[in-house]
Amino acid sequence: MKLTRRGFSRVLAASLAAPAFIGRAGAQGATLKIGMCAPVTGPAAEQGRYAQTGAKIALDAVNKAGGVLGKQVELIIEDDQTTNPGIVLAFSKLAAQEDIVAFLGSIRSTQVHAMAPDVLKLGKPVMIGGTDPALTHMGNQWLFRFRPNDSYSGRVLADYGVNTLGKKKWAIVHSTDAFGTAGGKALADALGKIGATVALDQGYANQSQDFTPVVLAVKQSGADILGSYFTFENDLGIFARQLRQLGVNIPYVGSPSIVNVTALKLAGPALYGTFGVSDFAEESSEAAKAFGKLYREVAKVAPDVQASWTYDAMNILSAAINKAGKTDPGAIREAILATKGYDGAEGVYNFDANGDGLHGYNIVKNEKGNIIFDKHIDFTD
Amino acid sequence: MSATAQAAKPAAARRIGGRFGGPLAYAAVAALATLAAIYAPFDDYILHILVETATYAIAVFGLTVVLGLCGQINLAQAAFFGLGAYAVGLGTSDLHVSFWLALVAGACVALVMGAFLGMSTLRLGGHYLAMVTISFQQILTLVMINWIPVTHGPDGVGNIARPAFFTSGHGYLGLCVVALALVGYLVWHLPETKLGRSMRAVRDNELAASVSGIDVYRVKVAAFALCALLGGIGGGLFAGGFAYVSPDQFSFAESIVFLTMALLGGVASPIGALIGTALLIVLPETLRFLKSVPGLYLAIYGLAVILIIRFMPDGIWGFVQSYLRRFMTPPPFAQAAPELVLAPAKLETPSALEIEGLSKHFGGLKAVDGVSFSVRRGSVHALIGPNGSGKTTTLNVLSGLYTPTAGKIALDGHDVTGLPPHARTAAGLGRTFQNIRLFRSMSALDNIVIGAERPGNALGHGHAALVDRARAALGFVGLEGRARDPITSFSYGHQRLIEVARALAGNPTLLLLDEPAAGLNSTEKLELRGLLKRIAAKGLTILIIDHDMALVSDVAEHITVLNFGRRIADGGAAEVLRNPDVIAAYLGAEPDAAHRA
Amino acid sequence: MDLALQLLFTGIGIGAVYALVALGFVLIFRATNVVNFAQGEFSMVAAFVMVVLAVDLGWPYWLSFLLSLCAMALVGALFNLGVYYPLRNRSFLPVIIATIGASIFLANSVLALYGPQPQVLQGWFDTPGIQLGPVYLDSQYLLIIAVTIVLVAFQYWFFEHTLLGKKLQATSQDKEMASLLGIPVSAMIMLTFVYSALLGGIAGILVAPVLFVSIQMGATIALKAFAATIIGGFGDVAGAIIGGLALGVIETFGAAYVSVPYKDGFAFLVLVLFLIFRPQGIFGERVAEKA
Repeated sequence: MKLTRRGFSRVLAASLAAPAFIGRAGAQGATLKIGMCAPVTGPAAEQGRYAQTGAKIALDAVNKAGGVLGKQVELIIEDDQTTNPGIVLAFSKLAAQEDIVAFLGSIRSTQVHAMAPDVLKLGKPVMIGGTDPALTHMGNQWLFRFRPNDSYSGRVLADYGVNTLGKKKWAIVHSTDAFGTAGGKALADALGKIGATVALDQGYANQSQDFTPVVLAVKQSGADILGSYFTFENDLGIFARQLRQLGVNIPYVGSPSIVNVTALKLAGPALYGTFGVSDFAEESSEAAKAFGKLYREVAKVAPDVQASWTYDAMNILSAAINKAGKTDPGAIREAILATKGYDGAEGVYNFDANGDGLHGYNIVKNEKGNIIFDKHIDFTD
Repeated sequence: MSATAQAAKPAAARRIGGRFGGPLAYAAVAALATLAAIYAPFDDYILHILVETATYAIAVFGLTVVLGLCGQINLAQAAFFGLGAYAVGLGTSDLHVSFWLALVAGACVALVMGAFLGMSTLRLGGHYLAMVTISFQQILTLVMINWIPVTHGPDGVGNIARPAFFTSGHGYLGLCVVALALVGYLVWHLPETKLGRSMRAVRDNELAASVSGIDVYRVKVAAFALCALLGGIGGGLFAGGFAYVSPDQFSFAESIVFLTMALLGGVASPIGALIGTALLIVLPETLRFLKSVPGLYLAIYGLAVILIIRFMPDGIWGFVQSYLRRFMTPPPFAQAAPELVLAPAKLETPSALEIEGLSKHFGGLKAVDGVSFSVRRGSVHALIGPNGSGKTTTLNVLSGLYTPTAGKIALDGHDVTGLPPHARTAAGLGRTFQNIRLFRSMSALDNIVIGAERPGNALGHGHAALVDRARAALGFVGLEGRARDPITSFSYGHQRLIEVARALAGNPTLLLLDEPAAGLNSTEKLELRGLLKRIAAKGLTILIIDHDMALVSDVAEHITVLNFGRRIADGGAAEVLRNPDVIAAYLGAEPDAAHRA
Repeated sequence: MDLALQLLFTGIGIGAVYALVALGFVLIFRATNVVNFAQGEFSMVAAFVMVVLAVDLGWPYWLSFLLSLCAMALVGALFNLGVYYPLRNRSFLPVIIATIGASIFLANSVLALYGPQPQVLQGWFDTPGIQLGPVYLDSQYLLIIAVTIVLVAFQYWFFEHTLLGKKLQATSQDKEMASLLGIPVSAMIMLTFVYSALLGGIAGILVAPVLFVSIQMGATIALKAFAATIIGGFGDVAGAIIGGLALGVIETFGAAYVSVPYKDGFAFLVLVLFLIFRPQGIFGERVAEKA
């Protein structure tokens, strides 16, 4: 009974949600159009709803305050199907509409990579949430990032472990996919810079069923602190449980997946007392608290990073166009890059020349299954 | 592949040419499609969809070859597609080589991997092949994700270049349509080539294919490599079209999508492949709501696979075709069938077949134990014996299905003891089976064409000559009027005659008949007796194995008798049948033999 | 040494899971001459049913377990009726494709109904494990090993010492002969599918507390179990057990002493070596499919 009800409500919610948002775009004429590629369908359809709601909340606020350049803003959503060809198709559909002045892209780095060539060809600003550092460092001047990139998470983990927890002998465990490898390397580099040692740097393949060899390696390395980059929550859950079973109880700091809801559920007590980085933490600032309150009113659930970045992106983009005073892509670009000290839901935005808006993370702690905000660490370089 | 395909073109052209205006019409349609691709006012979205359809369809053509024609499974087509795509991606964006060079390199890598994969498992059964292709698919995905220095890992490869002159969306689509038309033409006509016929024969009946002179293993490897090659070409073109590739586009799930495309459209024909591909690309675009629930559309694909396999095994195109066929009966042959020529090689040795000390042991059981006899050229020789005497084992050793434990077999003076079945056929051996083994999806004529195509058959080259020879053989057994009928529409007795005709069409030096009278009624037996006499009159050497004493004593000049795996008599027919040991063996072992005789 | 003992225990535990699923493969192969590519999904479906009953509805563990097994018997029966039986007289290729279709259908239906998030299922015991000298014994792995031993013993007794078992054996060896002897062949095949689904289901429910309940769990285990059946020799019960255990141990030791990231590679490497040098497996004789 439960199965069917759950399944049915998903279908219902999905089929109602998509037309509802697209339907808003009905009024033609004197509107200013912004395109958005979001996963309406596919594996990330649920996250896509968060992203759409976050953008919509910002949009309503902007329109209530008078819109942009005196016009109401209209959001045109195109489904990216959570796939790379899907987002290429979706973006090509939007790009064909010449009166769209700017776009919101994807939170998935691989999808941003997929659409990047077309973005460069079109030459209009695209706000993105993908965290692969390369995205803003590959000569594509039209991508603007509204989340801290992965190179900062390693620095934040190292800084917190060494300076706050006072541990200097590290074991690093990371997935061998691009995210894990880059993260592990960033952490090792950051540790090297602040004079800590890496006793073990161990990669593993995603969807491993057993971590006994990895845990035994951590145990034998004699490290006094553990840092990790896990991509999938079930891997993290198995690892964390075997860690405790085999008697490893050193402090543990991890990449964002360590504080994600699914990981908390799977690992249970095995992750109590660990620390993680998180780009959105509701308790981290007044702006974040305000966004949390707004989001709950509209969606009846707590927001997460999927929603906070589109919320910030929509707000900053609207402000930038207003400041530029025109819809010329070059002028909008200059205005976004000139955004400094903006208090967003995710933190304080200070855009650099590459198009990166955020340069730090929140550190949160797992207190018996509850995620508690600890501190925000920002870098200025 | 290209060599055979090109060789086949003139023949195919001639055949079709008379009927439809042939390749000209095809070329005209292809040209029209290309022009439409270049000049029609499609927007970028439509262009993307059409490029996707064209490039996927090329890969699905590969499945038409391997699954439809050859009956082998490939669950890694997305991996081969990915090899081509990554070759073009990495080649143009990282190594900065020309698009064409990268495309050729990718196709070659796919071809080599396909051939290697096929060679390592195609000797084993289809289950292993399914398993190994899944493993290959998984390993390739692992490599794409984990070998970051080369593949860029999950980030994928961007900035993929298109070739000069084809950089615009329309131009590139034009290129893809031309490629699709060329590959489609080759795949369409593949069944009319020697390789294509061999593939169909292998699919229908491997044993019969091998005794028709087809090297089953090589044909399977060729089909598999060809499939991989088409996957690679499709993938390479796809990479150019989308300018970005990443591992998740070439996962196991995509292999299943390819498989579903082939099955849905109809696995037997490239037209089906194109229909299936277009439907599964366009339908999800219009039926997006299916994708709003993760997993739902793949669940529907899975269900569709089961339902298609069960209720529409030939796919949409096969379904349509079965209706079209009613209106499109092929024209009758213009000329009457020629007389069957049997011209066995004339050599100096007096015996066509020489067997010395032949033994075959199964563990402790000595099924054949030191048997020797020789078959004189131009004679009808019978090998008889009660049940379990080792007759059929002897025959299987003779045709190469079993390796002998000891002994020597010489055909036409050449030692063939170590040769596999297809090589013995090439050396001049023709045979039929006790339980008929025909290629059941083909017409009578096509069955016999495969027999006529026996390597080493000096008579007749080229498609027209093969068809003539096949009609002659069919005429010889009295069934020429039903040449185009499917095998399944023939009676049991007629199927046996077709099997004999298939062997005769190959112009063998020696014809082995394994219990030809088994299962025939008395009228059919009379017909068979007449046929054997007419074959003998043409000077062909026959070795016949049967229980039917009336038949044997009527047609055979020479008889060898086996009992318990040993030779108990050998000599002229009349003399042997009077031999008391023979009578005792028959009466002792099989009391009703006298009645039968 | 301590390290090696710990690895050996884990390897045998994982290997016992492969062995259980491999048994299901072997049974269906012996009865129908077909490899059931949806065998792994039986494990996945059973684990999800268990999650619905024991976690979402909060029913008692033993009741949920029994009901899950009933559900699996039903799945096995429906699988036979919907996938295998209509195609029984066709060649093996359509059947393979249909079982692959069924595997995709099952995995993605569960995904559509339940969503992609992995789920937690508690183990049978409250104690997570025991420390025995230097080695930590996970209680769930102990249970898995015990159940595997019991099921293998049961299967041996069933096939060798009961009439029903002998009828099943006769069916798998020669269907025509069996039906001439008055054995209801269709019922025997149905029974085989039901029993295989049960075996797969037990494996899935047992392994769920260790690996969590996810859509991919079936495919991952089944691929390894299939490798185990080939290593052991196709169609051989003892071979499947030895092959499964060997694979689990090889993997664990390979990960510890050679390379963690390429752990899955060891299974495939061993598989390829067997395919090339000893395709009949450790015990098996028969390689070629029945003509």
